[in-house]
Amino acid sequence: MSNSRVSYDEALAAYRPLAERPLQEQHDDVDALLRAYHPDYRADTMTTLKVGPNSGEPCHRQLAEVLQADARIDDADLAGGAIVETDVLVIGGGGAGCAAALVAAVAGAKVILATKLRLGDSNTVMAEGGIQASIDKSDTPQMHYDDTLRAGHHLGEKRLVSQMVMDGPDVIRWLIQQGMQFDMDEFGDLLTRRAGGTSANRVCFYRDYTGLEMMRVLREAVQNSDAEVWEYSPVVELMINEAGHCAGAVISNLKDCRYVQIIAKSVIIATGGIGRMHLNGFPTSNHFGATGDGLVLAYRLGAKLRDLDSFQYHPTGLAHPHHLAGTLITEGVRSAGTWLLNGKGERFVDELKPRDVVAAAILKECAEGRGVQTSDGGQGVWLDTPGLELRNPGILKQRFPKLLHLGKKAGIDPHISPLLIYPTLHYQNGGVAISEHGETTVPGLYCVGEASGGIHGRNRIMGNALLEIISFGRRAGAHAAERRHGKGHKRTSIDHLSRLRRELTISDMPMEQKSPMLFPSCAKFDTDVDYEGLRRNRRK
Amino acid sequence: MSQLNQVLLHEQSRVGADLDAWLATIGGQGLTRALAEPAALIPLIEEAGLRGLGGSGYPTFKKWQFVATQPNAQDKYLICNGNEDEPGTFKDRLLLQEAPHQVIEGACITALACNINRIIFYINPDQKSSLAVMEQAVQQWRESQWFVAIEKALGKELELTVRPSSGHYIGGEETAAIESVEGKFPFPRGKPPFPAEFGVFGKPTLINNMETLSNVSHIVRHGAQWYRDLGLGSSHGTKIYCLSGDVLYPGAYELPMGTPLSTLIYEYGGGMLLEKQLKAVFTGGPSNTILTPKDLDVPLDYDSVRERDSSLGTGAMIVISEGTGIVKRVAEYVNFFAHSSCGQCPSCKNGTFYAAQLLTRIDTGRGSRADLYALMNLCQMLPGSGRCHMLDGALKVLQSSLHHFMDEYEEAVNR
Repeated sequence: MSNSRVSYDEALAAYRPLAERPLQEQHDDVDALLRAYHPDYRADTMTTLKVGPNSGEPCHRQLAEVLQADARIDDADLAGGAIVETDVLVIGGGGAGCAAALVAAVAGAKVILATKLRLGDSNTVMAEGGIQASIDKSDTPQMHYDDTLRAGHHLGEKRLVSQMVMDGPDVIRWLIQQGMQFDMDEFGDLLTRRAGGTSANRVCFYRDYTGLEMMRVLREAVQNSDAEVWEYSPVVELMINEAGHCAGAVISNLKDCRYVQIIAKSVIIATGGIGRMHLNGFPTSNHFGATGDGLVLAYRLGAKLRDLDSFQYHPTGLAHPHHLAGTLITEGVRSAGTWLLNGKGERFVDELKPRDVVAAAILKECAEGRGVQTSDGGQGVWLDTPGLELRNPGILKQRFPKLLHLGKKAGIDPHISPLLIYPTLHYQNGGVAISEHGETTVPGLYCVGEASGGIHGRNRIMGNALLEIISFGRRAGAHAAERRHGKGHKRTSIDHLSRLRRELTISDMPMEQKSPMLFPSCAKFDTDVDYEGLRRNRRK
Repeated sequence: MSQLNQVLLHEQSRVGADLDAWLATIGGQGLTRALAEPAALIPLIEEAGLRGLGGSGYPTFKKWQFVATQPNAQDKYLICNGNEDEPGTFKDRLLLQEAPHQVIEGACITALACNINRIIFYINPDQKSSLAVMEQAVQQWRESQWFVAIEKALGKELELTVRPSSGHYIGGEETAAIESVEGKFPFPRGKPPFPAEFGVFGKPTLINNMETLSNVSHIVRHGAQWYRDLGLGSSHGTKIYCLSGDVLYPGAYELPMGTPLSTLIYEYGGGMLLEKQLKAVFTGGPSNTILTPKDLDVPLDYDSVRERDSSLGTGAMIVISEGTGIVKRVAEYVNFFAHSSCGQCPSCKNGTFYAAQLLTRIDTGRGSRADLYALMNLCQMLPGSGRCHMLDGALKVLQSSLHHFMDEYEEAVNR
């Protein structure tokens, strides 16, 4: 059927903005549609884990490959390497990591925050919508709790959700104390708006870059605190003590290509999501560093993971031009009435259906040859912005300045030309199983933010991600700081890697692939000339 | 018949904390014979050639004899030593958890042989499940008919106690264990007087390892010749080898005493992990001379290993493959000893600490040639200057690593 696909240029030439487009009659059963086309529901993308604490459980095939891959380092790599000691090691420089580091440092612990790229290089800065907290007069934490659980198909962890919604108002207060700005009315009260699938006005926001404002404040706060920040320092492995507890981490210092061991009384993983693994070849809205390292590190140490087959694919990611593929176009554009059109110019789905249904419908159109093919091998369907403009003159400029800005970067004017879109890998619903304090099943190891799982069930509502990172980040930071009073480790090592290699050998698994990924495959660290200086250094 | 797990780890022995299950299979038979003829026990153990399996390899009957021949003190103590804390050793916890009655029956027979009335099971507090299982098992003995029978045979009140040790590595040393049982910090005592004369509260005291005691009921049940025949070559009985490190199947393997190292690693351990080359083996809870690939043929019994200037120790075999830094491993182990030093002998307190510091400095790329010379000097000066053997053990592993792997130290200081 692929030969019936229309090329980008042909489809664009044939496109006309119209005021009326009837929705094609929908015969598909929603469940059947999801089962057939949503990546989460497709059996061929799933596999069963063979080694580790989640053996026998379903997992996405690509994620399973890195969870069950060989480690990057061996004992010999650590010989002659520097050793640094600290109370709390935070891995990850996004919102969750910064909140944890700040609270731990204020509590009096010696804190090192190690981040793969630079402080603030994270998905936190990409959050546009806002942060949920039940502060409105018409709202209660109970309603917030109900909304969160319902959206997650009642698969979220109840005690975690109830704690998070109760934390909500205090999180906002804490953020304001740190210096974060929110949009306010003329009396100085916080403005709130309603997120899809919720029952009250609950989203606090600052313009349409709430996450960026949050990160600005947290980054400054961390830099002004006693916490040490190590940039360009990805963690390649965790360390274990004589009792099997987490005892620190091995850092690969990208600047001088050396391994450094950080021995810590507690370690907080805040490494974010897995978008850059490009599951099933999907583009992603995630930043460069979201390669799922935290999951691999925790899993090897014996931490239990959960919901490894549940991811959020946002329906409207940009599909053309290629270099911007995956960039998110806010759901508000569809809410305002924009249609989705296939290569023949037909509407094929109710655009206001839930995200997973719309994404599956787009995938179905493309799979059945009604998509639009780009010259570089991409495909997608139209987001009919000129049609929206035709029906509501001036709406794009007035309500979607960021979309117009994106159009400028892409060289496309959304007023006159539709945007080609394709579902984009947006969020990892599952992750490392945690307690109320962010503790994993391995003593001494904590996990917060997108890398952790259990809060959102199998689907997340807008605004809960920003709340989660601060709520659990602060709690984990405070709890981890308390562990500084415990006695130190008698012996630290990477002996758990022997266990991993043993299990891999016995299960007859391939050992060629190494993980954690650290960088997306497109980075080509080993061959790219941009890194020539680093490689020269390493050869020395 | 398979040579694996013939006696102590045989499934008949591993019945858990259920006394009835133990008595229904093989339990009680040894004790019945011992009650009938207690005076024959020490000669029997002598004939069987049972040796201390906690690391010393000292003939068990001699220890028993010292205590048995002490002038008739009202109280005599038996400390069943389960302090097990050294890296790479994990056999006692297995025996305690899975075959507690094997240990208790052995201890009761020992008490009959030496006229001991106070038996203390001295167990590492970090091994919580061992402690719980033993508490449960000992309570069943206290309530059984055997308890009364033993009291009658001894002619005095019998006492069975489960006691958590202090959790210090040094608490496994004989005299330190005595101090600990007396409720004090486990500082090793100077010898003499030996525990057999002046032990717990000044009373004659016998200290045996859990594995040694576990063998006793079987020897009494089957006779000395049976036990002698279990071993290979000139050695007797079986040994639980704790195989760990870079092998495919690490674990505790009970094999005939004298099984060659290569058989243990390649036949039972499944060979080297990722088929790497063998580089070294740290033996006996790493306080001994390192074995190297040329020692693969050594039969693992006390005398043969001693001929290679090493020691079987607790039976721990930590296998290291190519790609592992020796300096780092030795630094780890010496750090462990520095951490474990009780601190009463200045040479040990300062010596282990200084050696650990030098090793860490060399391992982390900050060492100099002078540091290496200082290490070599320590190996000359310190041995024999502590009350117990801990300092000597730490230096032995250091010295043999310097002997076999000087090139790695050189490379580390030239980096």
